[in-house]
Amino acid sequence: MDLFANLLLGLSVAVSPANLAYLLVGVLVGMIVGIIPGFGPSAALAVLLPITFGMDPTSAVIMLAAIYYGSQYGGTITSILLNTPGESSSVAATFDGYPLAQQGRAGPALVMQAIASFVGGTLGVILITVLAPAFAQLARRFGPPEFFLLVVMGLATLIVMIAGNWRYGVISALLGFALGTVGVDLETGQSRFTFGSAELIGGIDFIPIAIGLFGLGEFYYAFYAGLHVSGSGGIVQYQNEKRFWPEARDFAETRVTFARSSLLGFVIGVIPGAGATVASLMSYSVEKSASRTPEKFGKGAMAGLVGPEAANNAASSGAMVPLLTLGIPGSAATAVLLAAFVLWGLTPGPLLMVQKPEFAWGLIASMYLGNVALLALNVFAIPLFVQMIKLPYRLLAPAVIVVCTIGTYSVGGSIIETWLMFAAGIVGFFMKLYGFSPAALVLALVLGPLAEQSLRQSLTIGHGSPMIFLERTTSLWIIGVTIAALALGIWVRRAQKSE
Amino acid sequence: MRAGFLAGVLLFAAGYSYVAFAELAYLSSAGRLGPGFFPRLIGASLVVLCAYSLALELRRREPERLSSFWRAAAAVAALSAAFVAALEVLGGLLSMIAFMAAALAYLNRGRPVQNALLALALPAALYLLFRVWLNAALPRGMLGLPF
Repeated sequence: MDLFANLLLGLSVAVSPANLAYLLVGVLVGMIVGIIPGFGPSAALAVLLPITFGMDPTSAVIMLAAIYYGSQYGGTITSILLNTPGESSSVAATFDGYPLAQQGRAGPALVMQAIASFVGGTLGVILITVLAPAFAQLARRFGPPEFFLLVVMGLATLIVMIAGNWRYGVISALLGFALGTVGVDLETGQSRFTFGSAELIGGIDFIPIAIGLFGLGEFYYAFYAGLHVSGSGGIVQYQNEKRFWPEARDFAETRVTFARSSLLGFVIGVIPGAGATVASLMSYSVEKSASRTPEKFGKGAMAGLVGPEAANNAASSGAMVPLLTLGIPGSAATAVLLAAFVLWGLTPGPLLMVQKPEFAWGLIASMYLGNVALLALNVFAIPLFVQMIKLPYRLLAPAVIVVCTIGTYSVGGSIIETWLMFAAGIVGFFMKLYGFSPAALVLALVLGPLAEQSLRQSLTIGHGSPMIFLERTTSLWIIGVTIAALALGIWVRRAQKSE
Repeated sequence: MRAGFLAGVLLFAAGYSYVAFAELAYLSSAGRLGPGFFPRLIGASLVVLCAYSLALELRRREPERLSSFWRAAAAVAALSAAFVAALEVLGGLLSMIAFMAAALAYLNRGRPVQNALLALALPAALYLLFRVWLNAALPRGMLGLPF
């Protein structure tokens, strides 16, 4: 009963005219962000954060969350029509999406990916509705050792699954931790690494770093890779096809795929650090293994498109569970969402759903509506998004750089933070160029204070002995899940290499 | 270049570790873990990993090939730096217009009308959004212009 009462409360918040309007703006922006290669949801969220300052906190988070999950929908359109994924989580959609388009089936592929995204996203939200309160209940039993282990799990999983080179991934995370120690030590009140600067006493703000690494750094890299001259010449002209809608056989071939990939994606999404990219690649491998015609994969199998799409959208919903119930983001994008929560005085964690039910359930309810809006947008507004694909990088890049710079300045009115953003952009370019992980750096920067505090508290409780991490049942469970997640990550990377 | 980047990170790590070990106490006055505990752990790990990675990189000796588009990336980065520097001199609106005009003149050659329209329209829209609608801070610049 509580569940329905909470959901009704959430719906009453989500359907207010203002929240509905912000939700629609969010899903539209998310779609556009997803379409632009090299400009991911992390950068978009960081850049747009300042714009939400004048808004009601619930409306702002509803809009930012819509950008986050909306980007998962948009990234696939370019995968199918241009063989260029808009997001890393849409890479798997190129394997069969583009071959389908080349065979004159771009229309059915676009509609099926929209339906798969909708099914994955909606099933993910249903699972959040059911499981998030239970997770929050469980999380109330967590102490400092568990929180420290959760941070380690998130970063270790992210590094193993995403970073090109594990050593560079660890260096990236350590750099994030190092930046996170700048400022006043909360336990003793002593200044650290401030060198007498008043601006550094409050610590290094996460927003300029995120905007620099994901906004400027990605764009500099896109120029280095020549994206500004490549254009969209190879785009498939789906308008000339005879059939736009999928056929009955498309649904018959994929009826199990929808449910299987959504469930798989959600579970992977809940694991901090794993995320939508891993979910989509893993789903592709699973669907290929389960198929009676694996030889069709890579040549235009509808299950090869539907599986990853359902999985990455379910994973983006799943990633909201640790964020809302533990306050632990599993990716750079959810780390920016966490920063947004904190900015408005909302503390994600086990008590959020009890203390701020209208906010937590309003956000969850808005995700149901957002997925419906995204389905409609994906099917009926495809021509609009195809025009977006044609927008040249040489016009887009200066505009985004201006928004990044002015957005950063407007957060704190500080020119030093604006320079910091520029420096982070240069560092982000080299990190991307040499296979380091900007996502691990940002995640460690956000989670650094929690990691340090929980490690110090744990060792104090354990009288200096690290055995405290092995003496508690919940800690052992987290260690077990971490080992399983790392093994999964290694398996996914090997499967990826063999593809 | 990769070795250079790693050397830069190693230098940062060495400086960070020096401060952590020389200026921050391992234990607090109450006998608990102090402000230097975590930074020492992070700094020492960074130094070891960076030094090891740099040694591996130097042993590899494979020549690194630059992309033929590196000049475009460098030019856009230089323009961005000039934009940030101009904020304090020209103020928000004029800096945006100047940056857009310069960047488009370089990237979108041969379309002066389109470039001029974009260089005026986007900054005007952003000025209205941030300054007028959101009442957010925008740099005034040394010229003291009202926008």
